Amino acid sequence: MNIEFSFIIVDDSELDCYVTKKFLELTNDNVIVKPFHNANDALKFIQKNDSGIGTFPTIILLDLQMPGMTGFNFVEEFEKLSTAIQENYIVIILTVLSFTSDPNNIQRILRYRVVNSVIEKPLTQEKLLELLNQVS
Amino acid sequence: MDEKIKILYVDDEPENLVGFKASLRLDYQIITATSVPEGISCLNNHPDIRIIFCDQRMPGKTGVDFFEDIRVSHPLPVRIMLTAYTDVESIIDAINKGNIFRFVKKPWTETDIVLAIEEANKFYMATSMLAIKNKELQAAYDELTKFAYSVSHDIRGPLVGVLGGINLAGLIDNVAEMRDLLAVMKIAVIKLDTYALSMHDYYTLQKGLLKITAIDFNAVIDAMKTMYSLTSKANNVDFKINVEQDEVFVSDKITLKIIIGNLLSNAFKYQDKTKTNKLVELRVEVNNGMATIYVTDTGIGIVESHLGEIFNLFFRSNSTEVGSGIGLYNVKNALFKLNGEIQVNSVLNEGTTFKVTIPSL
Repeated sequence: MNIEFSFIIVDDSELDCYVTKKFLELTNDNVIVKPFHNANDALKFIQKNDSGIGTFPTIILLDLQMPGMTGFNFVEEFEKLSTAIQENYIVIILTVLSFTSDPNNIQRILRYRVVNSVIEKPLTQEKLLELLNQVS
Repeated sequence: MDEKIKILYVDDEPENLVGFKASLRLDYQIITATSVPEGISCLNNHPDIRIIFCDQRMPGKTGVDFFEDIRVSHPLPVRIMLTAYTDVESIIDAINKGNIFRFVKKPWTETDIVLAIEEANKFYMATSMLAIKNKELQAAYDELTKFAYSVSHDIRGPLVGVLGGINLAGLIDNVAEMRDLLAVMKIAVIKLDTYALSMHDYYTLQKGLLKITAIDFNAVIDAMKTMYSLTSKANNVDFKINVEQDEVFVSDKITLKIIIGNLLSNAFKYQDKTKTNKLVELRVEVNNGMATIYVTDTGIGIVESHLGEIFNLFFRSNSTEVGSGIGLYNVKNALFKLNGEIQVNSVLNEGTTFKVTIPSL
């Protein structure tokens, strides 16, 4: 596979950003990763980089529980952006919440049109490969 | 109960009011009114009136009308109707519309009235205790909701993060990269530990009784100094302490430590890493039975719009720093226990000063 993947990570946890970024870099040779510790900064960045940050649609790995702007708020704001911008991004939720532990929040986030799927933390290589297969 | 029970009596005949007051004023605090509007203004001026006596037959509004009027606006006082006319119609009205606790037949004897007051007071105490308990229960329930969020964000978050790190470690061969990973994992573990310690403070403050002793601020701060001196050195932050105490100050040591410790740890935590002259200053002045504690830092400051919220449970003003939103909440609760107060002054990017005043107990 010679596709160049590009990712934006939105997670308030420094450790999670680090781990996700490293995982992506170790699993792919040709990858761009841009981590953000708060959703507001990520949103501003996306508005400026309306065509994504790579050749492939950019994948946004989004945490749900964050102080200030939460993942829910982020998705709401993201849906207000122009369709042209939205088409260049795929939103995937990466959270400690799960269908079994917190079905309400998971169902709620999946109701947003732009949300593609949910991955439960902790991240593993299997989960990541499955995700890359699904989007490519 | 040291204070006399407050009772309102509404009757259009002044001589009835005088007689009532004369026979009961020694044991109760009697407030009288000759009309319904006057009665309502008495209720507004004395929100602690527990029992209302009212005559049924009055020109204009009847006793039932009065009780019906105040049913929503003043629901707490217990209502007792005084009446010479015990016709079924007015009794039914009084019960249904006026929410009457009791009837006392005219002409009354002092025994009738005292008995009615004692019963009404018991009823009042029971209902108002219920209202207080409900309020406490609601507050506890609200905190529980916040805790549910906190369990997943502040406990499971770091744990699952570390687990992700362990998964990642399986793919790393390079020792330097592994060390980097361990360093970030360590921060998450420290955060979790800090969280557990603040939870301990939280319960100490919720359940603990105060242990009142004479406080030597120098000794209290000396015991904490070692720990903060290490932080001070490691992060290149100057740490200044100044204690002025010439008089005896009485308080609870553990609660004081929670207050000073949290303010200091925040002062070190929220430093601006780009600044060259970083400073944390702790100043204690004890004068006229009042301790004033200043904790000043040259840190990142707090956005003005957040200042009102920083003492709320799980509120975090800054998303990038290690914080769980419990520290200042504990400070607020600790000050509540010691009758103290706190003020905050902050300029964004320049620094923050917390000023705490605590009276000697």
